Amino acid sequence: MDSLTFGRYAPYNTCVHRLDPRNKILMMVLLLVSIFLRVDTWSTALIFTGVIFLFLIILMIISKVSFIQLFKSMGAMWVFILFLLIIYIFIPNPTYDPTHIAFYIGTYGVNYDAFYQSGYIIFRLILMLMITMLLTSTTKPMDLTYAIEWYLTPLTLLKFPSHIVAMTLSIALRFIPTLLDETQRIMKAQASRGVDFNRGGLFKRIGALISLIIPLFVSAIGRSEELSNAMEARGYDPYGKRSRYRVLRFGWNDLLGFIIILAVFGGMLAAKIIDANFMKIDIIYLIFGAKPLF
Amino acid sequence: MAIQIKNLSYTYLKKTPNEVEALHNVSLEIPENKITAIVGHTGSGKSTLIQTLNGLITPTSGTIEFKDFVITNKEKKNKRIKELRKHISIVFQFPEYQLFEETVEKDVAFGLKNYGFKENEAIEKAHEALAKVGIDESFYKRSPFELSGGEKRRVAIAGILAIDPEVLILDEPTAGLDPVGSKIILDLIFELNKNGKTIILVTHDMDIVLNHADHVIVINDGAIAFEGKPSRLFSDDVSNYSIEIPQLFKFCKLLESHNVKIDIDKIRTIDDLVDQLRSRHG
Repeated sequence: MDSLTFGRYAPYNTCVHRLDPRNKILMMVLLLVSIFLRVDTWSTALIFTGVIFLFLIILMIISKVSFIQLFKSMGAMWVFILFLLIIYIFIPNPTYDPTHIAFYIGTYGVNYDAFYQSGYIIFRLILMLMITMLLTSTTKPMDLTYAIEWYLTPLTLLKFPSHIVAMTLSIALRFIPTLLDETQRIMKAQASRGVDFNRGGLFKRIGALISLIIPLFVSAIGRSEELSNAMEARGYDPYGKRSRYRVLRFGWNDLLGFIIILAVFGGMLAAKIIDANFMKIDIIYLIFGAKPLF
Repeated sequence: MAIQIKNLSYTYLKKTPNEVEALHNVSLEIPENKITAIVGHTGSGKSTLIQTLNGLITPTSGTIEFKDFVITNKEKKNKRIKELRKHISIVFQFPEYQLFEETVEKDVAFGLKNYGFKENEAIEKAHEALAKVGIDESFYKRSPFELSGGEKRRVAIAGILAIDPEVLILDEPTAGLDPVGSKIILDLIFELNKNGKTIILVTHDMDIVLNHADHVIVINDGAIAFEGKPSRLFSDDVSNYSIEIPQLFKFCKLLESHNVKIDIDKIRTIDDLVDQLRSRHG
């Protein structure tokens, strides 16, 4: 169960928690885009992603997001990291500078750039992990679905059932923990009948899984029927006009947060444009007058 | 063999901010061939206790001994756990959720096949178990999903009975059943006990405790609050354990206070009381 706790909502009351979920989603998208704006000059890339990294670390401390969870999910990425390294090292890339050879495997020269490129990607993936964790562990799943519904509202003009989609989403989110509990319960009940979920050959394990999946489906379908009856009994009509208990508000703190994120995004965009269109400026060279390393 | 529980503790989500100690230093003995009732309000640790008994959860500290099985806190990799579950089996609350096979007989035989019985042998034993719970031949080839709630529960109990454990643990076996369905299940439990099975019954219903149990254990906040005969429990001050004294017991106490001589320890049902009164007054 531990692996499923990644990014689970942590009920603190920090300023990040109090932000409008719509705003948080928008800010997350802006941050994600700015991370994936590729900058080719290595020192510019290092400085800008470094700034974002520090910014995210500060945000994580402010909003009390668990660093242990982050490390745990990073640990799960090692296969991916290995895979990336292998691909970058062994697939020849003509844009690499042929003079930057780190070492030879047989006659094939492994380029420094390969390590740099794969490191850059992995670093950005970790940043992405941090951003999504920041969003999901500071926002209630229900608030997220409200926000998604709000973003989908313009589509109602095109007869898109945005409310129904949002309701389906929130119900699905609501029932994840319930179904996990149910899974545990059925596993224990079947273990009492001699099922061993951890040992045995392939066929035995498939048999064990069937004894778990069928009861789980039966109870999930039963639950959905009960839920739909309960909703109808309380007068739910997906096409009716509804008022809201929780009204989302865009306040001053939201504006402030948005301006900060916009500044970060703008900085990254500027770096990208300068880097791609005008010249390969080496920022370290620009500031310190030192010679570029490569 | 009785089950010996020594200094058992169990903590959920250990080493996290949400850690909860469900059982604290519990020591008790569950007598052989008796019906032991475990009572206590919701969240008191009853379910945790029964799950440690057949190794579904590993205790944080302490030991459980039954025959030559010993469960300690290092039991995760014990290969004999599966064997232990053949001797001590649990029927969970709402066991009908564990049904999954195409036919009733196959579902009951499922547990037996897990313990290495051949198909024919398993089906044969399944029929025996089904007969015990009063499910007749016409049900054998039907799908378990089309049965009524009470029938499903009896089939699920048969699924455990077929394994023929010496100790049968039932977690609120009558929850959600109508009076007739409850009576069938309780009579079955009583019958099984007469035939030599040790029964552990988790329940909230004090009438069941008075009618059937030989031994009661009250759990309160993860510790044993009371252990002994039902009549002694109901004579005690039970206001702290959210236990309601059965009407019959209150009535007997009232009779006693009006100088009617009856032996309260032997009264379990209204019939017992009637018999005693009859024999006294001719």
